[in-house]
Amino acid sequence: MIKKEYKLVFMKCIKFVIILLIIDFVFGSISKQVFFNQKTGKYARSTHVIYEANPDILIFGSSHAHRHYIPKVFEEKLQKTCYNAGAEGQQLLYHNALQKMVFKRVTPKLIILNIDENFLYKSKVAYDRLSDLHPYYEDYKSELRPVLELNSKLVDFKLFFKSYQTNSTIIHALRYYLSPQVDYKGYRPLFDKMKFSDNVSSNKEDPDKEYIEEIDDNFVMAFKEFIANAKSNNVDLIFVTSPTLNKVDFSTNESLNMMKEIAEMEKVTLIDFFNSEQFMHKYELFHDPSHLNNDGSTLFTASIAEFIKNQTN
Amino acid sequence: MLFNSLVFFVFLPIVFVGYWLVSNKNLKLQNIILLIGSYTFYGWWDYRFLSLIAASTIVDYFVGLRIEGAKNKSIGKKWLLVSILFNIGLLGFFKYYNFFVESWIDSLALFGYTVNNAWTLKVILPVGISFYTFQTLSYSIDIYKEKLKPTRDFIAFAAFVSFFPQLVAGPIERASNLLPQILTKRKFTYQALSYGIKLMIWGFFMKLVVADRAAIYVNAVYNNVENHEGLSFIAATVLFAFQIYGDFAGYSLIAIGTAKIFGLDLMTNFRRPYFAASVSEFWTRWHISLSTWFKDYVYIPLGGNRVAKPRWLFNLFITFLISGLWHGANWTFVIWGALNGIYLIIEALLFKKTRKGLINVFVTFFLINFAWIFFRANSTENAFYIIKTIFTSPGRLYIGSGDDITASIYATLAIAILVLVETKKEYFTTQFSISNNRIEYVRLVGYAVVIFMILYIGVFGESQFIYFQF
Repeated sequence: MIKKEYKLVFMKCIKFVIILLIIDFVFGSISKQVFFNQKTGKYARSTHVIYEANPDILIFGSSHAHRHYIPKVFEEKLQKTCYNAGAEGQQLLYHNALQKMVFKRVTPKLIILNIDENFLYKSKVAYDRLSDLHPYYEDYKSELRPVLELNSKLVDFKLFFKSYQTNSTIIHALRYYLSPQVDYKGYRPLFDKMKFSDNVSSNKEDPDKEYIEEIDDNFVMAFKEFIANAKSNNVDLIFVTSPTLNKVDFSTNESLNMMKEIAEMEKVTLIDFFNSEQFMHKYELFHDPSHLNNDGSTLFTASIAEFIKNQTN
Repeated sequence: MLFNSLVFFVFLPIVFVGYWLVSNKNLKLQNIILLIGSYTFYGWWDYRFLSLIAASTIVDYFVGLRIEGAKNKSIGKKWLLVSILFNIGLLGFFKYYNFFVESWIDSLALFGYTVNNAWTLKVILPVGISFYTFQTLSYSIDIYKEKLKPTRDFIAFAAFVSFFPQLVAGPIERASNLLPQILTKRKFTYQALSYGIKLMIWGFFMKLVVADRAAIYVNAVYNNVENHEGLSFIAATVLFAFQIYGDFAGYSLIAIGTAKIFGLDLMTNFRRPYFAASVSEFWTRWHISLSTWFKDYVYIPLGGNRVAKPRWLFNLFITFLISGLWHGANWTFVIWGALNGIYLIIEALLFKKTRKGLINVFVTFFLINFAWIFFRANSTENAFYIIKTIFTSPGRLYIGSGDDITASIYATLAIAILVLVETKKEYFTTQFSISNNRIEYVRLVGYAVVIFMILYIGVFGESQFIYFQF
């Protein structure tokens, strides 16, 4: 009697698993098609960088990279093609994985990594946001597994399901299908100009601070790996810090100091725009205290291009 | 160990196979496997606190036997007191000690006395302590009241206290329901397994898709109150209503489903609470195992409604005040409990008949949501600020920035699915059903689609269940 029940359960389970796999395959495949056919938005940009782009200069970094580096300015001043692969909210683990995927296909001549002062500090969201890499896992298993395993166990099991690979991406895809998000080779300008009163109201402690001030060894490792990969592929690497509206004392910022030390040790150029007189308190160049507007970005990119030009001459 | 962690999906099949295939013919062995499984489940979080469960188990096991063997009622009462002091003592120390010390110091400060806060301790709240202490306590009380015979089977009793599906967040089982099942040989059936898995799947949907999605918006607003206005607080509070429902009812369903696949029936803990047409009805649908616990062990011993009216109303109020405190050592929970008590008093004074109809459902939903503000707010100051802002400064509705916007859309979509399913269950019971459809493929495809939705729009951050903190 019991054996009969076990047999029944076994048969039903098989049936259910087959149906589940079919549904997952059908809807998951459709979802992946939708995902990879996006024309605009953050996923479309990362897909372009991973599968298509072949620029001479590639920009990496968080929203500061995405909003501050204008490829057109680099192209005009340096006569080299450029793409901005900056991704809002993303940090070193993501950029390291993205770099590996890019290197599998092409090697740019120069990589600029815009570093945020908190890049090495522990941040849960930095791990959570690695899910943006899931759709690419099927094509880049060996590149992505080490980094995804830092956030989740049984990566291969979870990402076996096609529907999980594109988890939570459909609204994003539909949103930018209905209302395309304009970008200029990965750069999205901000046009507002700050006023003095905006600065006063935003001078409070950041309530949405996404990190705790302790060094995360995985981030340090990712930073070092980013440098090592560039070197092993003979790609020039420059680190840049973006300007801020207000003067900020980073002398005791362990994360930034450690990145500076590593850069110095590895002989990577770091162009430090923190507390740059060129930008400080110039309200007309900022959208908010830590993001430049289009005028600010034009000036900022031109300054970096000038620096690169002088270095290469 | 969390239900929504991968380790649980490794743990569960191992215990399941050991339980049914290896030890099916031996009840004792089955209970030992349950016990080991339960201690492993709990110890995965923090093995040190297993000693508390073990102590609570040992104390109530022997207290139960002593009460039964007592020569007279007064000796029995003394033994019952041992159980009450021990369990409430555990709860008092781990959960309320710091709260009472800090509240005492704060109240002295009101009179101008400054006391150096050297009395508070760094105490970790053991997960589930409010649940298993209440469960063991009810065992001893029921024996004292001669509603239950104590068991001499220590393994079975320990398995009852620590039964892993409901150990950390309920349902708070009565010994009279669960213990006899643990003492009796269970039978493996396809129906039970299938039903259990169905409950688990829907429970995971409620947790991962509804609750965890809604939590993103709720946290963005409630953890940052200074930067939001009235409309955002209203939206966040309504979303919180669904977050906590999805979280806790989802947990309960997973617990009940898991127990079911081991051949054990746990009590229903939620019955579509937001369809209640009055607050008193709400409390017959929300966290039923706790509501009935308080009814049986606090409200009725106080006299229930078989006393003079003022005393009855006092009994209602005090029961909910204690219930509020049970939820957490914070004044926000006390006010939340008091508010529910006040609602019930008003209902008792104003309405003689049972209320029905959609308008009453909406009014009740509004009242419950108003109380949730205190439940969710990080402090009483925040709660009052939120209420004031709702009435004085509606402002703009925060729709999130970046990925938060899409999270809100997913949350809305998930809530719409939940409401649709619950409306069907509440008002159209005999109409088309997927879970009980005669056609097997409709059932299988239906549940496969739910799993697809979990994988496709669920949140996989292995987030805690809200009630773990209680």
